[in-house]
Amino acid sequence: MNSASLPTVALGHLLGSMADDEFVIGFSDSEWTGIAPLLEEDVAMSSLAQDEIGHAAALYGLLGELTGADPDALAYDRDPDEYRHARLLDHGRGDWAMTIARRYLYETSDAVRLEALIGGAWPPLAQLCAKLVREERYHLMHINAWFVRLAAAHGEPRDRLVAALEALSADASTVFTPLPGERALLDARIQAAPMAELEARWRAAIAPTFEAHRLTMPPAATSPTKGREGHGAAFAWLWGEFNQVRRSEPGAVW
Amino acid sequence: MTDTPPELQPWEVFRQEKDGDPMRHGGSVMAPDAELAVHYARELFGRRQESVRLWVVRRVDVLDLSDPDLLQPPLDRSYKKPGGYVMRDKLAAARAQSGQAKPKARPG
Repeated sequence: MNSASLPTVALGHLLGSMADDEFVIGFSDSEWTGIAPLLEEDVAMSSLAQDEIGHAAALYGLLGELTGADPDALAYDRDPDEYRHARLLDHGRGDWAMTIARRYLYETSDAVRLEALIGGAWPPLAQLCAKLVREERYHLMHINAWFVRLAAAHGEPRDRLVAALEALSADASTVFTPLPGERALLDARIQAAPMAELEARWRAAIAPTFEAHRLTMPPAATSPTKGREGHGAAFAWLWGEFNQVRRSEPGAVW
Repeated sequence: MTDTPPELQPWEVFRQEKDGDPMRHGGSVMAPDAELAVHYARELFGRRQESVRLWVVRRVDVLDLSDPDLLQPPLDRSYKKPGGYVMRDKLAAARAQSGQAKPKARPG
């Protein structure tokens, strides 16, 4: 595809939303460093969180190449209401079950989204997604192991997972919020299918697990077009945390 | 599954640094089952790309042999080692008899 026909604006929305998703879940999950349920899981969750920040860096980098923006500025210097991550990721860290439920819903969604981009017609994005998929494979294995263990346990672990899924239910499918200019990405064959279709694929992918463990499937999003805005107090707090160092010494490098 | 939480148990992790290297003991992880043991081994001994293969073994499955009677017996065992046979003087005598010089060290 020559650069003249590249739907730059729509591509920017897609890259920005993916980067913000990875950035926010990475920082949110890094909140477990030092306090995860066991030492090995502490290392694992911290390492997974670092992976997500790495994915965000790659996506902001690609967005920067496209628009000329500084990737660090994209990541740190916007106001909270300018971020376009899915509302699913706005729920605070909560207990371990909440983190597992949120990661499960996000990772399974992200896998479907990456699958739709991996064969796309813009090589920089298709190639990056092919790399991300190889790392996300392990993320899926890890989160499946935990999700199924909590779901299959009796008593408190399962009760907490059910409560977490209920708390997340209205925002569960927000990764698939349609983005401005989606039509252009579909016409340019950068994205294989519309978000609505990807959401249906995601539901089909997770339904067997939910059914096997007698869990209630997430309902349709309450405001399907507003799934990446109105981030609320929990995100405002996280935002204050993750750009604290950068704001304390503007322009500092290390 | 029951209401009692699964108990953690130790797993021994062996790692290969690059293809062709021997598997070396890396350390151990605590995990409630084999699946999570492999995940944790991967995070603790492979997340920095320092391994190309891991072996994860339940510690109770490792056969331990540390009996001193079997491994460090009290009697002289020097005749089982090459150092138990001092060849230097015998070689020197043989060379003197045959008139040959001591071979030079081979390069490399």
